Amino acid sequence: MGYYLRIIAQYAVTLLAALTINFFLPRLAPGDPLDAILPPDVIGSMSEAEINEVLADFGLDLPLWQQYWNYLTGVFAADFGTSTTLGMPVWDALIGRLPWTLLLMGCALLVSTLAGVALGMLAARKRGEFADVSIISTVLFVGSLPPFWLAMMLIILFSTTLGWLPSFGAYKLGVPEGSWAWYVAVIERLIMPVMALAVVQGASTLLIARSAMLMTLEQDYILFARARGTSERRVFFGHAFRNALLPLYTNVMLGLGGLIGGALVIETVFSYPGLGSLVVQGVTSRDYNLLQGIFVLATVSVLAANFLTDLFYPLIDPRTRQAR
Amino acid sequence: MAADVYVKPKRLLAPVATTTGKVQWLGIAILTTIAAVAILAPLLSAYGPTDAVCDPFEHPGPGHLLGCDDAGRDLFAQLIYGARVSLFVGLSVAVIATTAAVILSILAGLNGGWTDRLIMRIVDVALSLPFLPLVIVLGVYLGASLTTQILVIALVMWAQPVRELRSQILSVRAMTFVEASKAMGAGGLHIGARHILPEVAPLVVPQFVRIAHSAILVETSLSFLGLGDPLQSSWGAILYHANARTAFLTGSWLWWIVPAGVAVSVTVTALAFIGFGYDASLSPRMRHRKSPIKAPAAQPDPEAALSVRNLAVAFHSELGTTEAVRDVSLDLGRGDLVGLVGESGSGKSTLALAALGLLRVSAEVRQGAVLLDGRDLLRLDQDDIRRLRGHKIALIPQSAMNSLNPVVTIGGQLSEALAHDGKTIDEAAISTWLARVGLEARHARCFSHELSGGMRQRAVIAIAICNTPDVVIADEPTTGLDVLVQEEIMALLLELRQKLNLSILFVTHNLPLIARHADRLEVMYQGEIVDRGTASQLRAAATHAHTRDLFESLPEIAGAKRWQAGIAEGAPLLSLKKVSKGFRSRNSLGFASRTITPVLKDVSLDLHQREKLGLVGGSGSGKSTIARLMMGLLRPDAGEVLFEGDPLGRQAILKAHAKSVHMVFQDPYGSMRNAMSILDIVSEPLCIQGLTHQGDTAERVRTALDAVCLPSDGAFLSRLPIQLSGGQRQRVAFARAIVSAPKVIIADEPTSMLDQSVRMEIMTLMEDLRRQFGTAFLFITHDIVLARHFCDRIIVLSEGRVVEEGPADTVIHTPAHDYTKRLIAAA
Repeated sequence: MGYYLRIIAQYAVTLLAALTINFFLPRLAPGDPLDAILPPDVIGSMSEAEINEVLADFGLDLPLWQQYWNYLTGVFAADFGTSTTLGMPVWDALIGRLPWTLLLMGCALLVSTLAGVALGMLAARKRGEFADVSIISTVLFVGSLPPFWLAMMLIILFSTTLGWLPSFGAYKLGVPEGSWAWYVAVIERLIMPVMALAVVQGASTLLIARSAMLMTLEQDYILFARARGTSERRVFFGHAFRNALLPLYTNVMLGLGGLIGGALVIETVFSYPGLGSLVVQGVTSRDYNLLQGIFVLATVSVLAANFLTDLFYPLIDPRTRQAR
Repeated sequence: MAADVYVKPKRLLAPVATTTGKVQWLGIAILTTIAAVAILAPLLSAYGPTDAVCDPFEHPGPGHLLGCDDAGRDLFAQLIYGARVSLFVGLSVAVIATTAAVILSILAGLNGGWTDRLIMRIVDVALSLPFLPLVIVLGVYLGASLTTQILVIALVMWAQPVRELRSQILSVRAMTFVEASKAMGAGGLHIGARHILPEVAPLVVPQFVRIAHSAILVETSLSFLGLGDPLQSSWGAILYHANARTAFLTGSWLWWIVPAGVAVSVTVTALAFIGFGYDASLSPRMRHRKSPIKAPAAQPDPEAALSVRNLAVAFHSELGTTEAVRDVSLDLGRGDLVGLVGESGSGKSTLALAALGLLRVSAEVRQGAVLLDGRDLLRLDQDDIRRLRGHKIALIPQSAMNSLNPVVTIGGQLSEALAHDGKTIDEAAISTWLARVGLEARHARCFSHELSGGMRQRAVIAIAICNTPDVVIADEPTTGLDVLVQEEIMALLLELRQKLNLSILFVTHNLPLIARHADRLEVMYQGEIVDRGTASQLRAAATHAHTRDLFESLPEIAGAKRWQAGIAEGAPLLSLKKVSKGFRSRNSLGFASRTITPVLKDVSLDLHQREKLGLVGGSGSGKSTIARLMMGLLRPDAGEVLFEGDPLGRQAILKAHAKSVHMVFQDPYGSMRNAMSILDIVSEPLCIQGLTHQGDTAERVRTALDAVCLPSDGAFLSRLPIQLSGGQRQRVAFARAIVSAPKVIIADEPTSMLDQSVRMEIMTLMEDLRRQFGTAFLFITHDIVLARHFCDRIIVLSEGRVVEEGPADTVIHTPAHDYTKRLIAAA
C-alpha cells in the first residue's frame, strides 16, 4: 500500500508545483498585475478608484495567500479564468480542442513506439552490421531535425509537389460529421502531422530500445539461456526483450512530456485545430489565461500518464512487487 | 600484447585512431566552421540581417545568394547571422545549466541527507513538467528577448544533468578508494577535492554537449512560435516568417525554408557527433574477417566424452590481437571429473565457452577440434550445435546471481529448459528436478532475487542439467559463495555426477577445493596447459614451475606453521568492548525503516602490540563490520571501541588513531584511484596528516616502496596503478599503509582477490613488515588454514558473535564450536 501512497504523494506535489508556478508567474513578471488584464491605454485612462475596483473584481486586492487559495480552489473547479482573445472561459476553449491534440499524440505515440521498438530491436540484432549502421546514422540525423521544419518539408513534398495530402486543418468543412468521407478526410489530415511527430519521437524510442536490448543481450542469463540450447528467437524475445521492456517502458512514458510540446508546435504548421493553434494565438495576443490553462492541462495529462506508468510497473518487474 | 597498450580510462574525447574519435573530430570540425561563419558574418555578407535591401520575395541571384524575404531582407545575411543566435543561445544555456547542475549535484551528492532529498524532489518535479509549454508560458510573461530565451531554456534544462551527475557522484562516493581515504582520516573536503571532483569532472562534458544540442532545437522552436527576440534574426525566426507567409505554397521554399532547416540540422548533428563518443553502445563494434579453422595436428580421442585437440582462440580488439588459448588439447573421460585450474587470464573460461560455441563476437577460433559423440562442435552450424547444448553438453555458468532471468520464475525457466521439443511440462517434472538439487517445490514460483546465493546456484544447476547431458562444463560454479556453501554445492555436483552419470569439466581458480575432489587436474597458464595429473601426482612432482608455485601456495592444515609466531606485548592497542551494531535498511523515499538488521552482537576483542590476530568467518558473519568499527568508519550502537584505552570520540584520540591504525582493503583494484600516480597514492596518508610540507615526502614514499619490495625510482613513482598487476597493486596498498609508520594494520581479506600464486608473497610481505616495523596485524579472512599459519591468535565469528577464541593451533587442533569444526572440515 505504501508504494501507491508514495507515488500519489509524489504526483500531488508535482501538480501543486506546476500550479504554484502558474500562480506566481504573472506576479513575478515585470509590470503591474493589471497589465495582464487590461490593455495599457485603458489603464492609462482609469482613475485610482476604478483601478481598485477592477483589482477587487479579480480578487487582486486580497492578501497573497488568499489569492493563492482562491486560485487553487478555482483550478480544481475547472476555473482557469476567461480568455481575452476568445471571449470565453479558458476551460471551455481547451476542452473543445483537447480531443484533436489527444488524437494526434495518441497516434504519434503508437506509431513511434511500434516503429521505434521494432527498428531498435533490428539494429540491436544486427549490431555493427550494415543495417545497424544505417539505422543509427539515420536516427542521429533525424534526431537533429527541428520537428516543425520536418513538418514543413513534408508539406512541400506531399502537398505542394505531389498534391497527395491536404496540409490544412483536421477535417473537411462541409462534409457531415461522422460520415465515411469525414473519417477519410480526418485520416488524410492526420498522416503528415503524425509522421512528423512520430519520426522525431520514434528516433529517441529507437535509441532507447536498441541500447536496452544491447544491454540485456550482454547479460549472463542470455549466455546461460543459449548454453542450454534455447532457440535464438526465444532468447531474443523471451529473455532479452522481456528484460529490455523495463527501461523501455519507463523511458517511452517519460518522453510524453516532450511529445506534448512537439505536438503543440507541429499543430501550428498544419493549422491543426488542437491546443497548439491556441498557443500561437495566445502568444501573439499575449492571452495569459489561455497559455496558463494550456500549461496546466499539459502538466495534468503528463502526470496522469506517468501515474499510470508507475501504477503498472510492478506488473512487468517482479522485483518491485515486494516494495509495496 | 594488447594489454601493454595503455589507454587512459576517462578522457574527454575518444582516441583519434578509433572510429569514434574520428566521428568526434568531424563534429568538432563542422562546429568550428559554423562558429567561424558566425563570427565572420559581417565580412561574408554586404548586408545586415534586418536591412531591407531588395524587393520583397526577390529570387536568388548574384547579389542575393538566397534571395529575399517578404520584407526585402537578404536571406543569406539572415542565415549567417542566425548562426550567431543559435550558437550563442546553445552555448550560454549549456554553460548556465551545466554550472547549476554541477553545483546542485555536488550539494546533493556530497552532503546526502535532507539536502539531497530536497534537491532530488525538486528535480523530480522539474522533470515531470512538460517543458515546452512551460518555456512558452515563461517566455510570454518575461517578454521576448535573447536573455529571456537563454534563462528560460536553461531553467528547464538543468534538472536532467543533476540527476545523472548526482548518481555518478554517489557511485564514486561508494568506491573503495573513497573509503580508503576516509580510513586514513581524511575529511570531506580532502575527499571531495582529491577524489570525487577529478573523477566526476570529465563526465560533465557529455552533459554540456547534450544540453547545447537540445537548447538549439528548443530555441528554434521558440523563435518559430514568435517568441524569439524580434531584433535578432535567428534560424527559427526565418522559418517563422516563412511559415507566416506560407512560403511552402510558393516556389520560394527552396531558398527560404530549406537552408535554415539544414543549418539547424547540421549544427545539431555536429553536436550529436561529439556526443556520439559518450554512449558506448553507439560505438561501432570491431569486425574482423573470420578465416576457416585450421585442422588439428593430432586426432581427437573418440573414446573420451569430450575431446579437445590443438585448440587456439584469439581475441581481436581495436588495440590488437591477444591469443587467449594456444594449442590446447585435453580429454574428458566418461564419468570423469576433471578440474581445469588456472588463474585469471589463463584462458580457462575461453576454452570452456569455445567448446560450447558460445564465444563472444570479438573472439576467433583459429585452430583445433572439439569432439563430442563423434561430432566436431567447432565445425557444426549454429542450429546443430544449439540442439546439442543442454542435451549432450551443458554449461553451469559463473555467477548464479546474474545467470537467472530476473523477471521469470525459477519454475518458468526450468520448464522452458525441459520443454525443448514442444513437450508439455507438468508440475511433477519441475518438482522432481528441484528436489534433485535440494530445493522445494514451492521455489518454482520464486524469482531469483527471492533466493539465497546457494539456492540460486542449485536452481542454475537444475536448469543446466535437466536434460541429462553427457558432458557438463562447470565454469567457476562455486565462486562468490560462502566457504561452507561451496562445499555443499560441490557435494551436490558429485552426487548428481553419480546419479546421472555425468562427465564434468570443472573450471576453477580454487585449487584446494578441486584438488580434493577431481579425478584429474589440468593446469592452465597463459593460454596453455602446462601440467596434468592427479592432485597427489602434481603436488609431489609437478613439471612446470607455475604448478609448483600453485601447490606451494596452499598451506596445509597439518604441519609446521609457515610464519613464526609473534610475541604479543603490553596493554591492548585496539579493543572492542561489548560492541553491537545493526543496520537500518532505507526505503525508496530515503527514510530509515524501523527494523534494524543486527550484524554484530556483543563482540569483545583485544589486539595487542606486535600481535597477529586472525578474525575468521564466512560471508555475512560481520567481520568487515568489525574492521570498519575499528577504523572509526562506523560507530557502534552499543559498547565501545577503545584505542590505547581511550574511547574513539574525542578529536585528539581520533587524530592519534588515524595516524596509528591503517587498513588494507580486499580489492586492490578499487582501493586506489586509477588516475593518481603511485607517488600520490602512497603519500596520501602524509598529505591527510599535513606532513607533506616537510619536504621528505618522496623520501618516505621511497622507503615505504622499498619495504614492500617495489621499485622506487622516479619512473615507478609516476606510473598509474592501472599499469600494475593485482599483486603489485596490493603491495602499493601496503606501502600506503606503512608510510606513516602505523602501530596497527587491519588487513581485510588482503589476498582473496589475488591470484593463488601471488597470495603467499603478500602473506610473507605482511610477516616482513611486522618483523621490520613491529606492526600489529588484524588479519581478516574466510580461510581458517591461512589464519592458522599466519596468526598467533584466532577469533572465529559466526552470525555476528564470537564463537571461539584462542591460540591458533589450539583452535585448529581442538575446536570447541560446531561452526569452527565445519570450517576446518571444509578446509
